Amino acid sequence: MLTLALESSAKAASAAVFEDEKMLAFSIQNAGLTHSRTLLPMAEGLMKNLDRPLSALDRVAVSRGPGSFTGLRIGMAEAKGLCWALDIPAVGVSTLEAMAWGGPVLDGQMLCCCMDARRGQVYNALFTVEGGRPLRLTEDRAISVSELQSELVARQEPWILLGDGAQLCYNTMDRDEVTLFMAPEPLRLQSARGVGLAAMDKPAVPAGELMPAYLRLSQAERERLARMSE
Amino acid sequence: MNILAFESSCDETAAAVVADGRTILSNEIFSQVALHEIYGGVVPEIAARSHLEVISLLADRALEKAGLARADIDAVACTYAPGLIGAVLVGVNFAKSAALALDKPLIPVHHIRGHIAANYLAYPDLEPPFLCLAISGGNTMLVDVRGYTDMRILGQTRDDAAGECFDKSARVMGLGYPGGKPIDDLSKQGDDRAYDLPRPAVNDGNPYDMSFSGLKTAVVNIAHHAQQTDEALDKPGLAASLCRAVSETLVGRTMDAAKALGYRSIAVAGGVAANSRIRADFEAACRKAGRTLYVPPLRLCGDNAAMIGAQGYYEYLAGHIAGPDLNAYATMEI
Repeated sequence: MLTLALESSAKAASAAVFEDEKMLAFSIQNAGLTHSRTLLPMAEGLMKNLDRPLSALDRVAVSRGPGSFTGLRIGMAEAKGLCWALDIPAVGVSTLEAMAWGGPVLDGQMLCCCMDARRGQVYNALFTVEGGRPLRLTEDRAISVSELQSELVARQEPWILLGDGAQLCYNTMDRDEVTLFMAPEPLRLQSARGVGLAAMDKPAVPAGELMPAYLRLSQAERERLARMSE
Repeated sequence: MNILAFESSCDETAAAVVADGRTILSNEIFSQVALHEIYGGVVPEIAARSHLEVISLLADRALEKAGLARADIDAVACTYAPGLIGAVLVGVNFAKSAALALDKPLIPVHHIRGHIAANYLAYPDLEPPFLCLAISGGNTMLVDVRGYTDMRILGQTRDDAAGECFDKSARVMGLGYPGGKPIDDLSKQGDDRAYDLPRPAVNDGNPYDMSFSGLKTAVVNIAHHAQQTDEALDKPGLAASLCRAVSETLVGRTMDAAKALGYRSIAVAGGVAANSRIRADFEAACRKAGRTLYVPPLRLCGDNAAMIGAQGYYEYLAGHIAGPDLNAYATMEI
């Protein structure tokens, strides 16, 4: 089964091609250029170098969020466009789960995946590792750093921090209360490699039904709800 | 040549198949108006989210209604500028990925060029050169259409678009959003001389430039004054006076330009071309001046993908194709 994985939920964009669990090719770009320009040519280049036509793909995996609203939509619109044209299904993967899969997946480790969600919050999910696979301990959520610290303290384990919110948590949290390690840099951020790995045991769905999990309403909706509750 | 076309620059998600730039095989539109109504205008983030939700379904329907299979598509076109950037990005990224996977050419289309091309769908005999007034919620410009892909802006609004003026006016008159249709409907029962509204002149330089912010402010002031003094507002009269003011500005500039440049053919394009006063005034002015008027039917005036497919055909003939690195742009010269 040939899978193209796309990741564009934050500053870097990446693409990977998997034959079942085996990653055949991977490409990443982190130069601040818009994903709208870089992501699709990356995917095209990988397939060309593999000497495989796009029509050989069986499915497309893509991070569905949380993350940059625009970044998520670029990746997902491309996944939908490819799937529509090839008439193949897609797999949407939690960005935080992809991050865990791409991280230091060593049995017994506790992984705290966090992305900076601004407004004093991180998008977060907690995982432990068993049998070389991340196991989910919480749902994806937007949570304040202090609330997250309380949860980490309560579980009485040392935690490995991942994601572009790792530094924020490391700097903000009281490290006398909880033991924290920053994941080594090459394993810290979400990538198409993690998306492809996380997608392996997930069912594919019709790509048209795929929707981002933004975990946050638009500003207009938030403000309207706030006005209504006043 | 069958072109599959996409449009997602504002609050309409659309997909269509057009043959040889002139024949509509399908034209599917999902309007988001209901999603934005409660906010009194288009919310860009909500628009972008909605486009992504429905775009695959619209592509399915466009193909199905055209009675075609994927293999029958010869090229893919999409609006790539101008528009709400988050919204345009959805169509561009879907379209270019589909084109790449189908191994067919990708054709980027300028949204306003698309509006102008709606006339090719409605009038099989219309060919450039002609003069075109493009009027919508986001744009108001007078375009010298020298060739299918050779255009010059003769004049444009310095501030608000004509459609924006209608939307804001409708809002202060309590007519909801979008404002074009309710103002048009209401104006039919009103006296177009009930209110003396300004015809904002732009007298410094380009005789074809326009301005609508002064007119909008005048309407807002009249509505607020009535509210504060508890005077009854003659809404039909105000709507009719507004339509007359907008129409006189637009029709006047366009007829002046046609005369100066010697154009026999005048086309109107864009959502505001649906306004019945503007249509009637253009008809009368063209009849009087002996010029031929082209106005697309209502369903092709608003945003749609068929017009993108029509213009896409001529862009393709001119060699204007793009690769998978095509980006979307919020603003771009025509």
